[in-house]
Amino acid sequence: MQGDFLQLLKEQGYMLGTPTAVGTGHALTNATTILAFKYRDGVLVAGDRRATAGNMVMYDRTDKVLEIDRHSVMAIAGVPATAYEMVRVLEHSFKYYRRTQLQELSFDGKLRAVSKLLKDNVPAALAGTGAVVPVFAGYDLEQGSAKIYFYDILGAEFEGVEYAVSGSGSPTIRGILHYLNTWGDQPLNRLPEEQAMVQALRLLTSAAEFDSATGGVNREASLYPVIKLITGAGVQTVPDATLKPLYESQVVRYV
Amino acid sequence: MYEEPYRWVEAVGNRRQYLDEQFKQGSPVVALTYDGGILLTTVSKGTPKLYEIYDRLALGGMGHPTDLEKLRFSLLEMAHVEGFNRSPSDVTGSRLVKYGIAPVIKQAFEEVYKAPFIVRILVAELGQKPEKDAILTINYDGTFEEMTGCAVLAATLAAQAKMMSYLKEQTPVTLSLEQALDLALRAWAIGSLAHQQEETDQQAETETPASKAGASTVSVPTADALMAHVRGIAGGRTIECAVLERQAPGTSKYRSLKSADFSRLLPKALQSVVAN
Repeated sequence: MQGDFLQLLKEQGYMLGTPTAVGTGHALTNATTILAFKYRDGVLVAGDRRATAGNMVMYDRTDKVLEIDRHSVMAIAGVPATAYEMVRVLEHSFKYYRRTQLQELSFDGKLRAVSKLLKDNVPAALAGTGAVVPVFAGYDLEQGSAKIYFYDILGAEFEGVEYAVSGSGSPTIRGILHYLNTWGDQPLNRLPEEQAMVQALRLLTSAAEFDSATGGVNREASLYPVIKLITGAGVQTVPDATLKPLYESQVVRYV
Repeated sequence: MYEEPYRWVEAVGNRRQYLDEQFKQGSPVVALTYDGGILLTTVSKGTPKLYEIYDRLALGGMGHPTDLEKLRFSLLEMAHVEGFNRSPSDVTGSRLVKYGIAPVIKQAFEEVYKAPFIVRILVAELGQKPEKDAILTINYDGTFEEMTGCAVLAATLAAQAKMMSYLKEQTPVTLSLEQALDLALRAWAIGSLAHQQEETDQQAETETPASKAGASTVSVPTADALMAHVRGIAGGRTIECAVLERQAPGTSKYRSLKSADFSRLLPKALQSVVAN
């Protein structure tokens, strides 16, 4: 197949995720909360920053919302080692395709590439060493619309029409998103940028409230979630300086 | 018959002659650093001649499109595999050229019973700092040169030398993109005029071998005359420009200039040509 980077890697002996039996004494890093929803100008993707292994916090500044190219991001839940590797493969695959074929890979083509990687990873996922459950979001320039997709560990792709969630904290906020979108003041896809960011902060704070593996906001350490906005102009990471006042004025409740 | 050393040297000599002949119709390529990165310029006919290779690498070429494609693909493969297995900052132009394609080109050139690559290649590399910007050129026989500031490709070494001396004497300390584009197009015109001059010289030589003196003493044309030449030729062709921009968002720094950029950057005299 023309311009297929993964094929090129495989010809050189590369293999994604080898299945190995997991030892009983090892707790793998996983558990997380990631979410994506459409707002007025595009799509917002957010994730908490905690990486845990069993009941231990490994790291509190993980970036789980990873930019793949100028118009797409993958938010990851699951084993970070495999997820980061997948992101690296995707990033190079899309670049390689664009540079060899002299055109951008279509949005559908990008979705297929994610599915294929997950499918290659099934043995490792079932062995317990490499399960990844990503959310893929982006702006389809050809159609001029934002899109959200979520996957299961086997590589099946589902379109999240208005929103998608993944990770151990997701059951909590899935319900909230449904409620907000159906009975809120306005549907999510009409929220202006600032309101969308406030909702994302509130949702992640709720997830952290009920899920020990999801990290909340830690103001003393100026630790805020990662929020990325994808519009026709590209991916934009919201700086902490913007999140801080929003959190303090519209998320914190003193009771 | 090539086993005899003399025959081999003769064959390689013939090859040079044959290859030099192939570039006569080619369009020169100019690469030039400016305050925000590196600019590549050419005027192409039919197939594009400027390409993106990696995050900070761009390619310009002259010669046969299929040969150029072959080498472009091997550069792309090497760059991406290396960038994935090591890291993007380990992908450098000089390694790709010196250990990657230059040996391949040389081998093809010297294996006289096989076809050589009909290409001249230029690889521009945007450094992390402006001092680290580099431009490499490779000839059809595999010889490469590493340069800073500016570099060119042209049909003959004489034309190349003329373009380089024009660029060297005009270059102010730092150019804006607009100034760089203007200068690059003038340098392109110098090269293109030199090609034409060589052609007419050659014809004159075959007709009257005795009168050869006049040709070499032509003075450098004025800027207006050079732009008029570009306008004259660009009509049926495309002015092709690409930049490696240091401040571009994201990891990929390559961008080819579109008509919107041209209407902002090109001298007025040329805008009508691009619009067509």
